Amino acid sequence: MHDPEKCIGNEKVWGCRVSGFKRIRLVAFAFLAWTLGLGAFHVSPAAAQAPPDEPGPPHPGDPAKGKTLYDTNCSTCHGVDARGEDGPDLRGVPASLGDAAVENIIRRGLPGTAMAGFYMISQGGAADIVAYLKTLNVPEASGTSTGDPQKGEDVFKTSGCSACHMIDGQGGSVGPDLSHIGSERGPTSLKERLLDPGANLPQVGGGGMMGNSWTEYLMYRAVEKDGHVVEGIRMSEDSFTIVLKDATGKFHGLRKPDLRSLEKEPGKSIMPSFKGTLSDEQLNDLVAYLLTLKGSR
Amino acid sequence: MKTYLCALALAASLLLAPPQSRAQDVTYQQLLNADKTPQNWLMYGGDYSSQRFSRLTQINAQNVHSLKAAWIYQPNPPVQPIESSPVVVGGIMYVTEPLGTVTALDPRLGVKIWSWTPQLPARLYTIGVHRSNRGVAVYENTVYSTTLDAYLIALDATTGAVKWKVHVDDNGVGYAMTGAPRVLDGKIIVGVSGGDVGIRGYIDAYDAKSGKRLWRCFTIPAPGEPGSGTWGKDMSGTGGGGTWGTGSYDPELNLLYWGIGNPAPDYNGADRPGDNLYTDSVLAIDPDTGKMKWYFQFTPHDTHDWDSIQVPVLFDGTIDGKPRKLLAFANRNGFYYVLDRVTGKFVTGVPFVKETWAKGLDENGRPIMEPNTEPTPKGSLLYPDGHGGTNWNSPCYSPLTKLFYVSARETGAYTVAGEPKVDFPSFGGGGRINLSGDDVYGAIRALEATTGKLKWEYKLLAPSETSTLVTAGGLVFGVSNEGNFFALDASTGKLLWDFTVGGSDAESNLITYEVDGKQYLIGAAGTTFVAFTLP
Repeated sequence: MHDPEKCIGNEKVWGCRVSGFKRIRLVAFAFLAWTLGLGAFHVSPAAAQAPPDEPGPPHPGDPAKGKTLYDTNCSTCHGVDARGEDGPDLRGVPASLGDAAVENIIRRGLPGTAMAGFYMISQGGAADIVAYLKTLNVPEASGTSTGDPQKGEDVFKTSGCSACHMIDGQGGSVGPDLSHIGSERGPTSLKERLLDPGANLPQVGGGGMMGNSWTEYLMYRAVEKDGHVVEGIRMSEDSFTIVLKDATGKFHGLRKPDLRSLEKEPGKSIMPSFKGTLSDEQLNDLVAYLLTLKGSR
Repeated sequence: MKTYLCALALAASLLLAPPQSRAQDVTYQQLLNADKTPQNWLMYGGDYSSQRFSRLTQINAQNVHSLKAAWIYQPNPPVQPIESSPVVVGGIMYVTEPLGTVTALDPRLGVKIWSWTPQLPARLYTIGVHRSNRGVAVYENTVYSTTLDAYLIALDATTGAVKWKVHVDDNGVGYAMTGAPRVLDGKIIVGVSGGDVGIRGYIDAYDAKSGKRLWRCFTIPAPGEPGSGTWGKDMSGTGGGGTWGTGSYDPELNLLYWGIGNPAPDYNGADRPGDNLYTDSVLAIDPDTGKMKWYFQFTPHDTHDWDSIQVPVLFDGTIDGKPRKLLAFANRNGFYYVLDRVTGKFVTGVPFVKETWAKGLDENGRPIMEPNTEPTPKGSLLYPDGHGGTNWNSPCYSPLTKLFYVSARETGAYTVAGEPKVDFPSFGGGGRINLSGDDVYGAIRALEATTGKLKWEYKLLAPSETSTLVTAGGLVFGVSNEGNFFALDASTGKLLWDFTVGGSDAESNLITYEVDGKQYLIGAAGTTFVAFTLP
């Protein structure tokens, strides 16, 4: 394994844990592969006729060569900078699947999916592409933490955080599970979110639902025909329905044609701002504590 | 003796049994009059005009609220996107599955009668091509379909047995086939995919009986041919111009109309200065000779992947008090065009979605360009995005409302110019970063067909990739990208019915048909086909 601390403030992400965003993308990717008739990521039927692996030690990939190969072979489907288009977002995929698996997929394809085998790309070329993919950092793990995690844990307990947030199975379920937050976010963004929770709401891969991504934890205000108001976080949405989760954690499945009005409330959040409530020191301690949460299961 | 008698009785009962599910010998006369037998859905687009207008009225604005799922058909293995446009004739429905499997279904029960699956090579080359198939053509007890490795297949309509197959082109250099063939009198017309990887596009005609090629009409001119001066140099080997949609046909004028894809390399036009004929155009072709009668280019020198392979919709309308034979074309570039389909002359054109690349169209329909619309190395934001204001999914036209119904995509993209690579198989030129999520949306828009004026719209969450279908029952049907089937009032756009199937990539062409006195609607979402009927 690796030392996650090395990831923070470092441009390199290879060897680092996959961030929450990336994990969601990977889940979407895995789901896509699954829905396309793939049991797992092993690549079998085409393999018998795929080009043989070249003997010798693993090829150290050249990211610059990889970018050229990527732009001319991959970007049509996977988008500029591998942000995904018809095909999935690939940032973070090597960190999750491993270099060899990604190289294998590049050269042999994923049977049952739109991913063709690029048999004309050499094994070295595939390694170059993987090296390039690994340079596509998500600038999340920025900033440094100066706080005391022990004190931060006390701040967490005394500030009511666990009423809404779960850590390792303990706590509320209104807000996101924070069990892995330390490997998903960096100090700067954690502090920003504590001060202004409604700003910079996370974008997640939508798996085709709304294009490439959509905004998580977006607040909506729905007014039903009888004037009853429902306000909450969007859990899911399609052209005719929306499911909101209100501040008590209750779900409201609504049919849009039956509503008097439905408005987005950008910038708003169910989570209160801790600006003025917590001192700067307390905030730093809280951030330091959150950064220790890497998941115990 | 007993066995013999049993066999005799069985044979007699088979002979006497009514031919409930027998494939008909579809004749050219039947195809010409497809609009008059609305219980069938005889071809891609419904009839040769591709209006996708059905005269069926059993399901109508008064009762559509009680429309229910009748059956579901799940291809196995489940693969998406399903882009099939079913054909229903003689009590059999023919659908295609994404990897080219052709399946005959009982249209009342949704159960499989037979299916045929192509043996695709392990090394299948489909860059920039959806691994999908858009449907079959049926003619004289034969089902015609295309394969991803670029074969045209003729199957027996009753058994699915292969009658013949033609290797149209080499998949190893980028040719693929996904479109539904168009059948004329004894001819099978097909197009090819692969324009993004530098094929030389063409439209082919084959003899329906023998599979012999009758003619080939290239979309990229060779040196010295008309239009060759619009490329700066000889690009006839790699200029793209795929033909992956399906064209329409006017039997009176004897003209075939076919949309042409984008030039290659995509996104970077530095190596191909000029208009790049006949990419992003519609061609009018004499189907007897394969010769081009006229062309109209929508997007000269395209650098945004705006394939113009949308199906041309033929209709008759009145312009300045005079009856005219017209062609409607809602283009990926965001403009709705009306052309004179006799001459190819531009009649009118207006944006039907937000577009930021042209100030408008001049009197000949040529775009008046905004400055700085070319892709840049860092990416420049432009509307619509590369998927376009609408994509291949068929629109429809109702002669009753005289409205054109189109799935509109309100999106933009940062288009990035990369290195214009033309060394096969590396073939790029850049790419795009699409706006997504809460910044974009879709809509069904009803346009006055002769002017393009917006009559109404019904908003959808995600930029939609649905076809539309309109009926004499006063309904427009579609399916959202999130898998909600819906019916709108054709005159007002009011929502009358919806049904959630889920799944993504709902891209099939919805059709309607009638069996045993019951009207059905069928389309697909995710990995399943769903048919609906009244209880």
